[in-house]
Amino acid sequence: MTMKKSLALAAATSLALGITGITAPSSQAVSQTIQVYISADTNIQDLWVKSLVPAFKLAYPGYDVKVTFDLHGDHDAQETAKITAAAVLHKDPGVDLIDGGFVTTLGAAGLLYRPNAGLLPNIKDVNRAVLTAGKGGIPYRGSSVLLAYNSTNVTTPPATLDALLTWIKAHPGKFTYNAPSGGGSGYSFVQTVVDKYLSAADRNTLVQQAAPDLETKWTDGLETLRQLNKYTYGQNGTYPANNAETLKDLATGLVDMGTVWSDQFASALKAGTMPANIKVAQISNPSLTGGASYLGIPNSSTNKVGARLLANWVLSPAAQNLIVSGTLNGFPVIPLSKLDATATAAFKGVDIQNLRPGYLSANANDLKSKWASTVPGK
Amino acid sequence: MRSRKSTSTKRGFLVRKDEGPSLLGLAFSIPPLLLVLIFVGLPILIGLTFSLGFTSGPNRVVSLIGQQIHKKNHWWGTFAAYSDVIHDSRFLGDLGLTLFVTILSTILVILLSLSIALYQRLIGGKKSSLLVTLSIIPLFVPVVISAWAIHTFYGGDGFMRSFFSQFGINFPTLTSTPSAIVIGTVWTSLPFAILMISSGLQGIPDALIESAKDCGASPIRVITNILIPLAKTPIIIATSFTAIGILGSFTIPLFLGPNQPTMLGVEISNFFGSYNRPQQSLVMAFMVFMIASGIAIAYVWSNVKSARESGRI
Repeated sequence: MTMKKSLALAAATSLALGITGITAPSSQAVSQTIQVYISADTNIQDLWVKSLVPAFKLAYPGYDVKVTFDLHGDHDAQETAKITAAAVLHKDPGVDLIDGGFVTTLGAAGLLYRPNAGLLPNIKDVNRAVLTAGKGGIPYRGSSVLLAYNSTNVTTPPATLDALLTWIKAHPGKFTYNAPSGGGSGYSFVQTVVDKYLSAADRNTLVQQAAPDLETKWTDGLETLRQLNKYTYGQNGTYPANNAETLKDLATGLVDMGTVWSDQFASALKAGTMPANIKVAQISNPSLTGGASYLGIPNSSTNKVGARLLANWVLSPAAQNLIVSGTLNGFPVIPLSKLDATATAAFKGVDIQNLRPGYLSANANDLKSKWASTVPGK
Repeated sequence: MRSRKSTSTKRGFLVRKDEGPSLLGLAFSIPPLLLVLIFVGLPILIGLTFSLGFTSGPNRVVSLIGQQIHKKNHWWGTFAAYSDVIHDSRFLGDLGLTLFVTILSTILVILLSLSIALYQRLIGGKKSSLLVTLSIIPLFVPVVISAWAIHTFYGGDGFMRSFFSQFGINFPTLTSTPSAIVIGTVWTSLPFAILMISSGLQGIPDALIESAKDCGASPIRVITNILIPLAKTPIIIATSFTAIGILGSFTIPLFLGPNQPTMLGVEISNFFGSYNRPQQSLVMAFMVFMIASGIAIAYVWSNVKSARESGRI
């Protein structure tokens, strides 16, 4: 299909959708392809390929969804470059909808199609603050880092960060977090300890914009982390390489406590790779970070109408139920009252609507780098 | 390239010399030359200009995205990114560990493969063939699999610790230490060195060894005066290939090494991905490239020497 033709078609369909209010997919004469790019772990691939895409195609038979998957986001930098270059050169990026950590980076660079309630009706159910933080990204599921503990050895888990730090020093070799460059669960612990010494305003700035001047205030937190070297699992301040290794160390009983992703933990529990005596809890003051995962529609996409339709559908209660149940156990982004009650019972005790956000990626990259030069082996 | 052409005449074949450069030969050599220039030479050149602060043209997009990008301030560029790397507190430790692992592992690999190859050459028999076959097995195991196998073997809950704790001995946890990287790199580099060195030793005629023995040479003298000198070229090739392979290793130090210091292969990937500093990661890549070039010179020198000895040039 040539660019002109597809643009004309897009204009025609958007006109039609405007009249019918995005409910008349069966009247689509031409079958359209929506190209989805996913940069994540395999649990997210399963969510799309096994649950969301088949259900979407059932609801909208006129559309075909082509999924491209990039494991662990190994090619995020290249894909960002490709989309940036496509926007500069006015070419088709070959992607209509992106699910990946770099969506907010694209949003900040002004390369995303801004969502609004007129074009995406279901967005009205989504938390305003989460939507604003996306900078053009569409939040569609959430997850949080939690403190996992071995309930056989730890009867009452620490409730605050200070209590956790005290516990770590009282139980040498029984706590671990992975290297922040290797996975988000370890990164979250590092940011949480660093945030302990920052004002609310500074924390907020680091979430919103690149702020190299504030990075000197990380020194206290990094020093606290360095002092933990002799109390964490591993000799001379060595840390697991990635999220999976922390989960393995918990499952095999090497450590009694560690930070984990809520969805990865729930999936491991369901699959039986995590014993039932390992439980999770959230700490407070400050809490471990979490947040929404965002979908992005590149400005240069050639099928923005289809991408919008799919994104809108993903925010519907039917699709949100699939995210909550199934193997992913993700957090929904719409109110629990709209969802299946049995599926949401698992979220008791975790405030899923008010997750403490992580830093903007530019600041997060600097924090990872600073951690590597000041903490391990020092 | 010059060619000789023979033309048949009534008296036999007349050989005409020095036709000048053959167009056919040139035509054959152009495609591979272009391939190397475009897919190897050009990216290296673009990378070099980017590391020197040329941020326009082909480097425009990457400099839009990367952090801590230095733009050139002289006509030839800037050394700011190089200075960043040299003054980074991590770099010296990383370089030290990389050189330490490369040198120690290469020495171990060459000593081990020499002893296995000599055993096979001098004593032979079924047992030695079995030993060589066994030592080749790592060649068929993907590196990521062997890294995890070594990890579970020497890890905190691994076989070694579980086994020794049965007897009340506290075996050290080797994972996340430079020792584990050395074990891993030796494990993965051994097969190639053994293949190379044992085939070199097999090529030495029995007559040489037997006549030396007849003159009363001890086995040690046979090894040091006959076998090793005659197998010098394959030994140097094995050494340089092993050293270059270990220098650029990534999977083994990522899974088995400490977080910091780490080998430069891992650090380059960290700087490029996790810290989003593409310019600094390129600078480190050029430094690794320089060290590898030094090793490659030894390899080329050995090739030239053996070619000269055999009269090929």
